[in-house]
Amino acid sequence: MVLIKLFGTLRLKTGCKHATAEITHVKEACDILAAKTGLSPKEFKKCVIAINGKPSNFHASLQDGDELAFFSPSGGG
Amino acid sequence: MATKYGGYTGKVLLIDLTSTTAKLYPWSDQERKRYIGGKTMAAKILGDQLPKDTDPLSEENMLVITTGPFTGSGVPSSSRFNISTLSPQTGILTSSNCGGNFGYYLKKAGFDALIIKGRSEKPVWLEIYNQSVTVHSASKLWGMHTSKVQETLDEKLKTTNGKHRKSGKIVIGPAGENLVRYACIASNERLAGRGGTGAVMGSKNLKAVTASGTHTVKVHDKKALDKLNRKWFRYLKKHPLTGDQLPRLGTAGLVSTMQMRGQLATRNYQYGQFNDYEKVNGETLAETFHIGNKGCLSCPIKCARTVEIDGKAVKGPELETLGLLGGGILNNDMNHILRWNYELDELGMDTISAANTIAYAMEANEKGLWDNDLQFGQVSEISQLWEDIALRRGIGDELANGSKWLSEKYGGKEFAIHSKGMELAAYEPRRTVGLGLGYAVSNRGGCHLNGGYMVLLEGLSMNVDQQNPHGKPDLTVIFQDLMEATSACGQCLFTTYAFFPPPLIRNPNSWYTKAFCKAVPHLGPVLRLVNKFPEMLCFHLPVIFNQSKALNLVTGMPSSFGRFIKAGKRGYTLERYINTGFGISRKDDSLPERLTRIPQIEGDETTKVPLEKMKNVYYAARGWSHDGIPTAKTLQKLGLSELTKQINQESET
Repeated sequence: MVLIKLFGTLRLKTGCKHATAEITHVKEACDILAAKTGLSPKEFKKCVIAINGKPSNFHASLQDGDELAFFSPSGGG
Repeated sequence: MATKYGGYTGKVLLIDLTSTTAKLYPWSDQERKRYIGGKTMAAKILGDQLPKDTDPLSEENMLVITTGPFTGSGVPSSSRFNISTLSPQTGILTSSNCGGNFGYYLKKAGFDALIIKGRSEKPVWLEIYNQSVTVHSASKLWGMHTSKVQETLDEKLKTTNGKHRKSGKIVIGPAGENLVRYACIASNERLAGRGGTGAVMGSKNLKAVTASGTHTVKVHDKKALDKLNRKWFRYLKKHPLTGDQLPRLGTAGLVSTMQMRGQLATRNYQYGQFNDYEKVNGETLAETFHIGNKGCLSCPIKCARTVEIDGKAVKGPELETLGLLGGGILNNDMNHILRWNYELDELGMDTISAANTIAYAMEANEKGLWDNDLQFGQVSEISQLWEDIALRRGIGDELANGSKWLSEKYGGKEFAIHSKGMELAAYEPRRTVGLGLGYAVSNRGGCHLNGGYMVLLEGLSMNVDQQNPHGKPDLTVIFQDLMEATSACGQCLFTTYAFFPPPLIRNPNSWYTKAFCKAVPHLGPVLRLVNKFPEMLCFHLPVIFNQSKALNLVTGMPSSFGRFIKAGKRGYTLERYINTGFGISRKDDSLPERLTRIPQIEGDETTKVPLEKMKNVYYAARGWSHDGIPTAKTLQKLGLSELTKQINQESET
């Protein structure tokens, strides 16, 4: 089971904080989030992603127990 | 004293609290053209007026409060004003920029800037109204918190004039009165937070200044400015950072990204990630505690958070406060941070320096250097500690002097996280090495914005290699210069975040964004050319950077993108040169050893700041000597020829 977390404005807009899914590739998570939020999977493909707290990419594979995070654009402070 | 330029009242007021006299300070159109306003103008005044051996808390020191030509002009996010002085925290120039509305009302009162010197025998407050100044006793205001004193002044202005009068105010709290070295000055709920300006105000026995009046300032080309402003507002509102992230999440929205990038200063900068970050991040703040947005006058961004404390709607914490009073001291309770942020604002203390000072104290206690009972993660008594610092009671009296002073007394300089005496912001520089350089060379000390804010490229908005120093010094120079000039105009620096076109921000995984991020560090030679000959950019950058065009439309001064960069370069170099008179050189452009010698990730030597190497390139890009001193040639090139004369005179003697 992979824990998928959402951060940034996309999380506020959709109200979706996290989801869990039996997936083995990052790309599958976009479809899971799209189904949960009603948004297009493309919206999630625009995010920066991290696996277990480290930046990663959409071609990465996932292991059971991984934490996958999606970040919508951030700026400055 | 009148000016031919739009955007200015043409008057600068000098008040001497010792003799209780006021007069106009000479400031010519030539100086307006050269220094614009804001922090650059203030630096010039302080450089001309302050003797080199001035004690920051003596009556010789001056508070210089400046606006810019944009202040009150209708340009987006332009209600900023600046407070500069000789800092009791660093002993060199400091400048602190503030939102709120004091700058707007100072212009309504008929002045572009206010210089306050001397010291009153007893506590006073100043009422500036339509070019007249009245000194009032503040004996009944002394001791009041920042919001209470502003409410009381509102009542006083109402009573003395028989009707309600809209005014801008700057006030200090108990921390400023008691000369806490990182005391700040408040205006509404906004703070001129950094550098201890509040302590300087307190040392002058000055509790508050109010400004109001009916003066209006004309702009050079109102029709064209209105047209530009309409487009500019639309662009800022559509931009993913200024129109979406900042309004929805505020600066607090960066906590999660910083965590992912290993940039979230944790346990006094020992680590770059905090396990409990989700309890103290921007998303949790927005979902659980946020009750509304607030913004400054004329600002489409409205980044400020409003939260509830004891049934009262108050300003919520910024990113720095969340990071440093969260992971910085291993606190995972958002409720604490909201309350502490409110308490620090009310007492009038900089949250960044306060947080880093107690983080230092916790580590010094842990290492057996200073027995003070403070421990990471043990935070139930912190509220009491803030009050002890503000009133200089018990250990609060020592904590009020900041981490540099404490480390000189108790040891542990390698983990006293400051540069030139000013504590660093919440970005852990070992994973944003360009910002590491920026913190070290920043004119006012360990400041992320004055340091060029390279972290925007190094992981926050863009994905430029965080660990590679290549190209970063030249980028730092250009970012510092653009922000310097923007600040001098009186505009919020957040508008400069829209410099990066929306597609680059919205599509971080696109080929063009990836190509941009890969190419940026290799732009060094091109940027060096721009840094050396900014005038060659004799055009305005459309859409993404409107500041240079707006400067022309507001003031009537000749302007271009290149001239704008040069104005920033002039200001930055001027501040540096003045600081060299206070003893600043290469040796002071430093970071604590924790950040330059110990890798954040064990075994990965790239996760530390390669500072000395970057400094060499940075000085060359700036036209400074190997020792970090602006050369006579550079000063001359920037139109600072009177400083060149000073150099020659000094070398002759």
